Amino acid sequence: MRKKAISIHSSRGGTGKTVIATNLAAIYAVKGVNVALLDLDFCAPSLVDVFSKGISGSVKHWLNDFLDGRCRAEQALIDVSKAYGLKGKLLLGLANPSIEAIRNMMEKSRAWEVTAVKRLFSLRSRLFDAMDVYCCILDTSPGVQYMSVNAVVSSDIAVAVATLDSLDLKGLENMLAELYDAFAKRSVVLINKVFPETRVWSSDEQTDLIGKMEKTLKHRVIGVIPCYCDVLQAKRTSLLAVDKPYHPFLRNLEEVAEKLDGIKEVDMEEQVLAE
Amino acid sequence: MGKAEQSALKEELLAKLVDELTLVNRKLSSLIELNEKMLKMQEKFLRVGSEKPPFGGELKLAPDVMTLLSLPPSLRKTAMVLLKLDKATAEDLARETRRLRPVESAYANQLVRMGYISKKREGREVYFYIESPMEIRK
Ligand SMILES: Nc1ncnc2c1ncn2[C@@H]1O[C@H](COP(=O)(O)OP(=O)(O)OP(=O)(O)O)[C@@H](O)[C@H]1O
Ligand SMILES: [Mg+2]
Repeated sequence: MRKKAISIHSSRGGTGKTVIATNLAAIYAVKGVNVALLDLDFCAPSLVDVFSKGISGSVKHWLNDFLDGRCRAEQALIDVSKAYGLKGKLLLGLANPSIEAIRNMMEKSRAWEVTAVKRLFSLRSRLFDAMDVYCCILDTSPGVQYMSVNAVVSSDIAVAVATLDSLDLKGLENMLAELYDAFAKRSVVLINKVFPETRVWSSDEQTDLIGKMEKTLKHRVIGVIPCYCDVLQAKRTSLLAVDKPYHPFLRNLEEVAEKLDGIKEVDMEEQVLAE
Repeated sequence: MGKAEQSALKEELLAKLVDELTLVNRKLSSLIELNEKMLKMQEKFLRVGSEKPPFGGELKLAPDVMTLLSLPPSLRKTAMVLLKLDKATAEDLARETRRLRPVESAYANQLVRMGYISKKREGREVYFYIESPMEIRK
């Protein structure tokens, strides 16, 4: 498997980025692949709560500290694989949820953002070269936020998560054209919460929907995930990939993971050359 | 032209002049305001993080991701690679962007002239790099 950083982003909020990023990371770790999961949603941090069961004691160093130059990459990462019985390492980089830290992040200058994106790149090479991590997943804030764009720029593959909501899709169309393509990123779309899980839909219907979406969005759609009551009602601290490994939501995400693994360097080269 | 007509014309011209002057005045104030804002930003920028002025005393424009968006795609690509690499020769850049070395060299030098990046000589090599105003002091 080729080492890669994957950013999970969306144009609007609540599309399922965090649930997807979390379970995707867990799927890799269950298989024995070392992963890092970074919470770059500094406006509304969530991974610290999602993984509260696995984090023992208080968090000493946040990703905020790393980006501010107050600690080293290794210090800002917490391995929770033991707590969840995972085969591979699951290294968490957490965003500080205190209001002061959030406010602090909102007041950063443009000059700071330059240093931040350089540090993101250095964190990435630390993870890949020194810490034996194969996959780094970046969860972001929705919309065009500095940190989210930093995440997109520093990743190899940008996954844009959208629902079928028309506002969501309109925003996504703009973002793909004006942001992702501007940075010549290998970007793919993941449609989430499509229909109620109870709705039976043929594979023809699914192919049809994907075809339509790809035509409008001009980007590859790598998955269509139904809306599952179980996911909606699950406790936010429950890692589905660990607690309910046979849930169809995870089958969907496993397929997504396979497709992400299938995106080869060749494709990325093609994109570079196609410019 | 009668006297009455003449003075009407004068008045009209004067009114026009006053209008124009008001417009110029307004434009000047907004320019001054803008200039003040820029000066404040420069000050803030120069104060960032360290005692010594960053960028060797020279003011540089930070090529942050939003600024990258405003660059032409050809230059954007070079600047993006420099965010990733600490420092790079034209050859390093060419390897990443898969463009020709002289092309890369031209783009990088243009970015230097635009004030987005810097270059330095180390031995025989010329390196391009982006200044980090807030680098970790190791
Ligand atoms: N396929 C799905 N089926 C049912 N519920 C889902 C599905 N995907 C996500 N959800 C639910 O949608 C809600 C929002 O999910 P999540 O927090 O992951 O979104 P987000 O994109 O990270 O939001 P934000 O933009 O606020 O960060 C959660 O309650 C989550 O459980
Ligand atoms: Mg989220």
